[in-house]
Amino acid sequence: MVLAAVSVLAGAVPVVAHHSFAAEFDSNKPVSLKGVVTKMEWINPHSWIHLDVKNPDGTVTQWMIEGGTPNTLVRRGFTRDSLKNGTEIQVEGFRAKNGANRANGRDLILPDGRRLFMGSSGTGAPKDGKDPTEK
Amino acid sequence: MSTRVVLGLVAGLAAATSTLVAQQAQAPAARANAAPAATKTYKVPMTPWGDPDVQGTWDYKSITPLERNPSLGDRQFYTDAEIKEMEARAGKRMDEPPPANERGGTVHAAYWTDPGRLVDESRRTSLVIDPPNGRIPPTVGGRRGAPAPTTGDEEAPGAAAGAGRGGGRGGGGGRPGGRADSWLDRSLLERCITWGLPTATLPGLYNNNIQIVQSPNFVTITHEMVHDTRVIPIEGRGVPAARLPAWLGNSVAHWEGDTLVVDTKNFNGRVSYRGSTTNLHLTERFRRIGPDNVDFRLTVQDPTVWTAPWTVALMMRTSEGPIVEYACHEGNYGLRNILENARDEEKAAAPAAKGK
Repeated sequence: MVLAAVSVLAGAVPVVAHHSFAAEFDSNKPVSLKGVVTKMEWINPHSWIHLDVKNPDGTVTQWMIEGGTPNTLVRRGFTRDSLKNGTEIQVEGFRAKNGANRANGRDLILPDGRRLFMGSSGTGAPKDGKDPTEK
Repeated sequence: MSTRVVLGLVAGLAAATSTLVAQQAQAPAARANAAPAATKTYKVPMTPWGDPDVQGTWDYKSITPLERNPSLGDRQFYTDAEIKEMEARAGKRMDEPPPANERGGTVHAAYWTDPGRLVDESRRTSLVIDPPNGRIPPTVGGRRGAPAPTTGDEEAPGAAAGAGRGGGRGGGGGRPGGRADSWLDRSLLERCITWGLPTATLPGLYNNNIQIVQSPNFVTITHEMVHDTRVIPIEGRGVPAARLPAWLGNSVAHWEGDTLVVDTKNFNGRVSYRGSTTNLHLTERFRRIGPDNVDFRLTVQDPTVWTAPWTVALMMRTSEGPIVEYACHEGNYGLRNILENARDEEKAAAPAAKGK
């Protein structure tokens, strides 16, 4: 009974997206990056997060991570101040097909383990004492 | 009803979801056959010039699929258990990390999308209410609908409203993600041209909002996706639009009692919804049935594509906030990236001797 229900209900969430994943990223190229945010581009149609990722040899590589639409971010409580330059984040995603230093951001994690804005229990943004809702 | 709307805004609270389910369990499934109870006592407000007032910013996101899963047969309504399961799954997708083994998916993190958490208030197993089987009618001559050229990948399976993409030159070209010789190969969405109709009135992954503004002679409908506004003359009042084929067709409105009816024809044929042609005729019906609800009906006909007209019903709710500008051309890096990837693939595939 339960199994039947699952099959009936599968795929119910709309998944019509705006841009093709497969034309831009390679699901065979997973990346896990730790870096420092240098710029959050609050831009249509999709936001982009710029990261400086330090390599083992001490050099720094600049990465761009594709994020959600500004529309969605603002409705989930994300603001221009939610992700400040200098914040360290971890990004799990898939790299650009051509090996460029771009990735989609399927999961974005703050140093304390929280996801970068997920759910409604806060923006997930770093606490800097300026947000009156911070506890 | 308004309780549910308010609760729906408290996104992410598992407790709220549970409450909703509990409330739903008490609601008679039969309510879907008629207008919700609230309409019996609700008096539609009037504009100063005497038209019913359906103005507002309305949210139409829903996890109810466009078409009924064939395995449900003739069953018109979900059970309480099914609704609970669906809404829990939708909430989980928004509130929990993606599965570790997830490969690909959408360009965005799942929790940065906004497809909704709730099934339609009607509890129906599909947004399509006619034909009664909840399925879009067969195509003329058995041709396949939804050619949707140059679609991506994640969009196809289970797409609730999709296949309105069109606009690319078509053909996958053997390339994952579709042909990308030029921007002309890519969909109208990736090129930020339009989401098209009726796609812009059906639930998608995000930006599921419209704004209706009325004046004595015109009604405007702004579609958040992709930042399109229709200025619609009211029949016999506003100056009709030039009868030129248009991306969004020519819309004309009239009133049937409290219902705003918008007929749209004269599409330019460059945006196709599931194979629709220039013969596409849409009839939208907006009826305010409460302070925070609009009963929306959409009838789609194109006799060159479908063997019968078909109708969708869904409940729109007051949006969480104003329309957010989706000025899509502002930073459409995705399109550039797609073309860049394709060029680099060609270079990589070229004979190594080349250039020596």
